[in-house]
Amino acid sequence: MLADAFEALKTFNWGTNLNVLSPIEDAVIATHGDAAASQELENRLIAALKGDLSRDAHGYVCRKLTVIGTAAAVPTLAGQLGSKDHSHMARYALERINAPEAGAALLEALGATSGSQKIGVITSLGSRRDAAAVVPLARLLRTDDPTVARAAAVALGNIGTAESAAALQMALPASNGDKQYVIDALLACAEALLASGKPAESTAIYQSLSGEQQPRLVRLAATRGLLACGRKQS
Amino acid sequence: MTRPILQCGFVVSLLLVLAAGTSQAGDAQSDQFVQRIVKLIGDHDKEFRAAGLEQVRTAARGPAFTQLFAAQLTKLDAGGQIALLAALADRGDRAARSAVLELLGSSHDEDVRAAAVASLGPLGTPEDLPLLIKSLSAGSKAEQAAARRSLIEIRGDGIDKALAANLLSESSTAKGALLEVLATRRASDQSPVFLAAILDENARVRRAAMAALGQIGRPEQIAPMLAGVLKARKGYERDAAEKNLALVCERIENADQRGAALIEALNTVDQSQRDQLLSLLGRVGGKKLVDFVAAIATGNDGARRQLGIDALSKWPDASVAETLFEIATHASDPAERSQAFRGYVKVAAARDGRSDKERLDRLKQAMKLAKSPEEITLVINRVRTAYDVDSVRFVLPYVDQPDSAQIACETIVEIAHHREVRDPNKAEVDKALDKVIATSKDPVVVERANRYKRGETWQRPGRGSGR
Repeated sequence: MLADAFEALKTFNWGTNLNVLSPIEDAVIATHGDAAASQELENRLIAALKGDLSRDAHGYVCRKLTVIGTAAAVPTLAGQLGSKDHSHMARYALERINAPEAGAALLEALGATSGSQKIGVITSLGSRRDAAAVVPLARLLRTDDPTVARAAAVALGNIGTAESAAALQMALPASNGDKQYVIDALLACAEALLASGKPAESTAIYQSLSGEQQPRLVRLAATRGLLACGRKQS
Repeated sequence: MTRPILQCGFVVSLLLVLAAGTSQAGDAQSDQFVQRIVKLIGDHDKEFRAAGLEQVRTAARGPAFTQLFAAQLTKLDAGGQIALLAALADRGDRAARSAVLELLGSSHDEDVRAAAVASLGPLGTPEDLPLLIKSLSAGSKAEQAAARRSLIEIRGDGIDKALAANLLSESSTAKGALLEVLATRRASDQSPVFLAAILDENARVRRAAMAALGQIGRPEQIAPMLAGVLKARKGYERDAAEKNLALVCERIENADQRGAALIEALNTVDQSQRDQLLSLLGRVGGKKLVDFVAAIATGNDGARRQLGIDALSKWPDASVAETLFEIATHASDPAERSQAFRGYVKVAAARDGRSDKERLDRLKQAMKLAKSPEEITLVINRVRTAYDVDSVRFVLPYVDQPDSAQIACETIVEIAHHREVRDPNKAEVDKALDKVIATSKDPVVVERANRYKRGETWQRPGRGSGR
């Protein structure tokens, strides 16, 4: 049954009856809590990924790997980060696989990818909230490519640590006319820090954005943030 | 190059965190927080002010902070005062009360006064009742409305009693408003005040008192409320009084017990007054009352018979239909027959849970009794309450009769308005509508007939949508 499903996977696309793949769905559920069986299923999925799959079938396999994927799946997925067709779903899986190897693979891909694949990798590092990514991402804030710089700022905002906030603050020039995205990312950091029980760090960020030289909406956001921090601290 | 700079930033942040770690710093932060709120309250930018007011509503609890926030009232413009008063009211701490009263004593701005009065609902004490009662009839409309809301909302021991005591000395306007306030407060323990007020010389006070009893009255107040019905002027006030008494009766769940309670109450008034109250029985309904009224409607006293028939005609359902039919069939007095006939047609058409077929059967019976074109018209008109293709069949022949053609056309389009009638019987209903189109002189009726033939709906003028 499962073998038939993997066979069907080779010609699968989203117009196909999903029932042909239900043995794979059932196996994902059945192997929960059984490390050996789960590993065996993961290996079959990895093997499928290495084959000649359609884009839809590839996406299906990546979705299953978000559930049962481990470090074992990382090399295969990482190998697809530069692929125009497959990088998106490979990142989708890597963002969710709970293994440091997944983060490391994304970091490594940072220097090996370009264009929209690179933007995707940056975004995935932000989604993983990977502290190890702060320094490399901070470097990208100063790149000449504004799209890459913006993606790096957003990713640092999502990481939301004191370190990522410090990196963003460093990148904030005296005149921050076209660096609104850095401010947005800083506000995201402040919010994340407050939510994780660090009102003092959060206050420092909001304070830096509440000066008269800031645009009204930024001051308003910072003021609201300061009030939220004050409330937590009082 | 980047790493040392990042580390430097991180160190600065860390120092800030450590600085905030001591308890002294904690107190300072608390003060800073409150001062920030105070500053924002006075901001001229509404969104910054709103951010501060949001904290007034929910943060920095305790009377000391409340007083600090309330002290800002005198420093603000009218818009700021109104916004802060609303925030203080939402905060609900009575420590703000004296500042509110001070502002009320000094401000002549109508909107500010209304906001201050409104804030006394959650912030006021029983001591503020005289002020709020005075505001009920003095000041702007907004202040009066705010006073009413505050009197409903204000908490404290003996509020209802104090409000009831004040009723006696107030003007009619304030009296009516106070009665409404007491009713909304569900002050059922103040019923003697309501029962006294239903006999007031001022109609507004009487209406308010009866309405209040309608909302919170208990079955034991049915008998004393009869005096209020009798005191009410015939017409709108009497109708309203009867409806309110009927509402109290409905609180007795068992229909027989309800009827018995009303009959028992009626026995406490003399017969001439009792006859005036017969129409009330129709509003209450129930078998016991049917028998009681039917005995009067078929009795020997002609004047009382008319009152009885009138009461039966107001019945909320068709349970009295047979009695009215008998009277309409056998009455020797033409006026009485006509009255009973009209009553029968009315209750026969009542949409009271019977099927459309039952309604139509009753109306077919009525048609057999109809003696004049007016009575035929009355029956055809009421057939529109029976949503059934049989109703179309019944009315269709009257389209050919000059006296009834127009009302028959109207009735057919009214029935055809209901898709559940016309869709399953399209061919037959279309044929009837063709006849209506050929006969009716009313362009609206013709337009409706055409629309229904095309499967379209029609929107009644002044209503949201047609069916």
